[in-house]
Amino acid sequence: MPEILRISRLTKRFGGLAAVNDVSFSVPEGAIVGLIGPNGAGKTTIFNLVTGVYSLTDGQVEFGGLNIAGLPAYKIADLGITRTFQNIRLFKNLTVFENVLTACHRSASYSILESILRLPRFRQEEKNITRKAEELLSIMGLSDRRDLVANNLPYGMQRRLEIVRALALDPKLLLLDEPAAGMNPDETEQLMRMISKIRDDFKLSILVIEHHMDLIMGVCERIVVLNFGVKLAEGNPEQISNDPKVIEAYLGVAEGEANA
Amino acid sequence: MAQFLQQLINGLSIGSVYALMAVGYSLVYSIMNFSNFAHGGVIMLGAYFGFFALTILKFPFVPSFLVATLGTTALAILVERIAYKPLRERKAPFLYFIISAMGASILLENIVIATIGPTFRTYPQIFDRSPITWGPLAIGRLDLLMFFISAFCLIALILFIEKTRIGKAIQAAAYNIKACALMGVNTDRIILIVFGLGGFLAGVAGVFFGMKYTVYPQIGNITTKSFIAAVFGGLGSLPGAVLGSVILGTLETLVAGYLSSQYRDLIAFVILIGVLIFRPSGIMGRSMEDKA
Amino acid sequence: MDWFYIQGILMLAGINLIAVLGLSLLTGFTGLFSFGHAGFMAIGAYIGALMTVSPTTTPAGLGLPFFVGVIAGGLGAGIVSYFIGRITLNLKGDYFCIATLGFGEAIRLILNNVQIFGGSRGWPGVPYKSTLPAIILVDVVAVLFLANLVRSRHGRNMVAVREEELAAQITGINVFKYKMIALVISAVYAGVAGVFFAHYMTFLQPKMFSLTKSTELTIIVIFGGLGSISGSVLGALILTALPEVLRAFEIWRLVFYGAAVILIMISRPKGLMGGMELSPGGIRKARAERKARLEAQREMKQAQEGEIRNA
Repeated sequence: MPEILRISRLTKRFGGLAAVNDVSFSVPEGAIVGLIGPNGAGKTTIFNLVTGVYSLTDGQVEFGGLNIAGLPAYKIADLGITRTFQNIRLFKNLTVFENVLTACHRSASYSILESILRLPRFRQEEKNITRKAEELLSIMGLSDRRDLVANNLPYGMQRRLEIVRALALDPKLLLLDEPAAGMNPDETEQLMRMISKIRDDFKLSILVIEHHMDLIMGVCERIVVLNFGVKLAEGNPEQISNDPKVIEAYLGVAEGEANA
Repeated sequence: MAQFLQQLINGLSIGSVYALMAVGYSLVYSIMNFSNFAHGGVIMLGAYFGFFALTILKFPFVPSFLVATLGTTALAILVERIAYKPLRERKAPFLYFIISAMGASILLENIVIATIGPTFRTYPQIFDRSPITWGPLAIGRLDLLMFFISAFCLIALILFIEKTRIGKAIQAAAYNIKACALMGVNTDRIILIVFGLGGFLAGVAGVFFGMKYTVYPQIGNITTKSFIAAVFGGLGSLPGAVLGSVILGTLETLVAGYLSSQYRDLIAFVILIGVLIFRPSGIMGRSMEDKA
Repeated sequence: MDWFYIQGILMLAGINLIAVLGLSLLTGFTGLFSFGHAGFMAIGAYIGALMTVSPTTTPAGLGLPFFVGVIAGGLGAGIVSYFIGRITLNLKGDYFCIATLGFGEAIRLILNNVQIFGGSRGWPGVPYKSTLPAIILVDVVAVLFLANLVRSRHGRNMVAVREEELAAQITGINVFKYKMIALVISAVYAGVAGVFFAHYMTFLQPKMFSLTKSTELTIIVIFGGLGSISGSVLGALILTALPEVLRAFEIWRLVFYGAAVILIMISRPKGLMGGMELSPGGIRKARAERKARLEAQREMKQAQEGEIRNA
């Protein structure tokens, strides 16, 4: 299977401290890959490097065969990588609909002049992206909250809205940063189904950071394990759950946490 | 050479007053991360407090000085309680603080214009105007006093922050105020002390400024320059504020002496723009790269 | 009060409104605070006057028609703002504010030293060209342009920058570009306002464009409510007209301003309109938001009651 994302020898240092050190792995096209590891293992840093939020110290990030390292964040988003955040970052004072409509801006191309003068292309494209935003909301079951200000949404729905906003960009690769954080088992179950459904319906690849082992083992075809900024293991769920190094560094702790 | 040294002396004396003003901006910035524009108004009122204590109350110099400094200490704390505390409690974004500060600055300046009037007032003469001479160099008695008291206040402030328990708490709050609150430090009290300290120094600066020049409501032009000195030194850094002020004061007098006094006021803004382009964190400021 | 007097107040309010509308885009919609827009007004005023002043009164004057002055003043301010933006728009936190303050003051101090414009003594002899109909026309056009811009993908991108810069970036929005667009448009508006101001006062002096003027413009935007065009319009009308009507209190005007700003910040930071618009669409939207909020609250309550019953 061709690879959509290939990370090679990725390194990021803050001062003298290497948050990510010489990490290589790839995401096959159409796959759901899990990125796991204890707190501070460098998972979110990898997301920040891939999406251009941080500049990398060393290494390469190839997306669809194109080297994207060093590009500004908005260009990387343009190319088709988008993400959600661990601490939700919605446009808080805008309504659910406006959040999604804003993100649909890539599907329109009218200029500032055309919008000031309300020329035909403006009207046509606005109609199209309005429809697109509404469709997305209805597919993801947020239509009845269309006019609610994002800040007033319940927590779980805020997470879902963030995913909808990401989908509005028609991404080829979606990065989810702890999508199940703060969710109860029911909601987590729902989320698992949603992640698989998104992959199938929108024909994209997903890289997901998560602490819920049920979710990771349930939806991921491949798993990459990080510890202290270096890659510890990589494989399918079965290989990972039987890897003694992983059990020692991570799974033992995670089970302890889950029981607590 | 003698002329140059003379300019240097003049520059140092004005720079030391800038420094008294600038550390007030930097102190508040280090804890609360916003530019407290109301500080200029507090300095201005300090000049008026001192002036009225000397002229209307007919107090001698030292009690007048105390009236002015205690007055500004109270005023700075009052401004904090009214204009910033409600914002802190609501965890408002920092821009609200700046706007509220601008509001307080406009309020203070115009209350003075509306009640006392916009006229320039001259402090009564307290010190002998004849300068102390040393070879070709001359320094005014007032300038000398100004320099020593400013230096004394600044050293005392830095010792206070470095050596005392409260000072340590202020340093910790400057590093991370949220963590401080979690560790059981009463951050509300720290903020109060910081505003009080800034206010006290504002009073000292106001009185000296009034004595050296005149008292008038739009003193803000000068305080804006001291603010620029704080930015130049690196907002939030006390040694930076002092260094920035001394450099600015010296450059100003040199420009006025060798080029034209017309360009003196422009220097500050040239420096500001230069700093923002090449080194926004200032000469001694903390790096601005933030973590996402 | 005679008509001439009222007309004068309306003209001043209308001129202020042009500048306030521009600042509304920058501050209310894009989330950037400027304490230097009086500087852009000054650039517009001086360039505009340079175009129209007759060569017989000032040697440098070009004696061109008024509309040329308006266009040149707006463009001039826009071009200067572009270069200022290149330097300052990447600055973080309140450093952008500080930078605009610095540039605004620097522009004033430079004008103080430009002798062909009279330096700090001032420049008399600017022709009286600002008429009330012309000002109203420009106001209407300015409101329409702005309203159309903010209700487009470009306007939404600016709001996204205001709301959450990082999220805007990963949504493919070129944050720097949209900040720049907002800054340049706001400067053009301020420049045009400056031209009208110059041809209303017929006399120019750098100190008319001080930090206080910049702050006044920002205060009007905040008073009207961030992110609301109708709020800016109301704010400009009320805050320009009120103190003029209450002449006796003129001296207290800025005291009132200062107190109002603090009061708004600590009690109702959303200003007069709180981001809402006084237009059919705006009212519809506000009602839909309210309905959705009430519905969500009711559902939440029901769910809670259900849980209590189950427990």
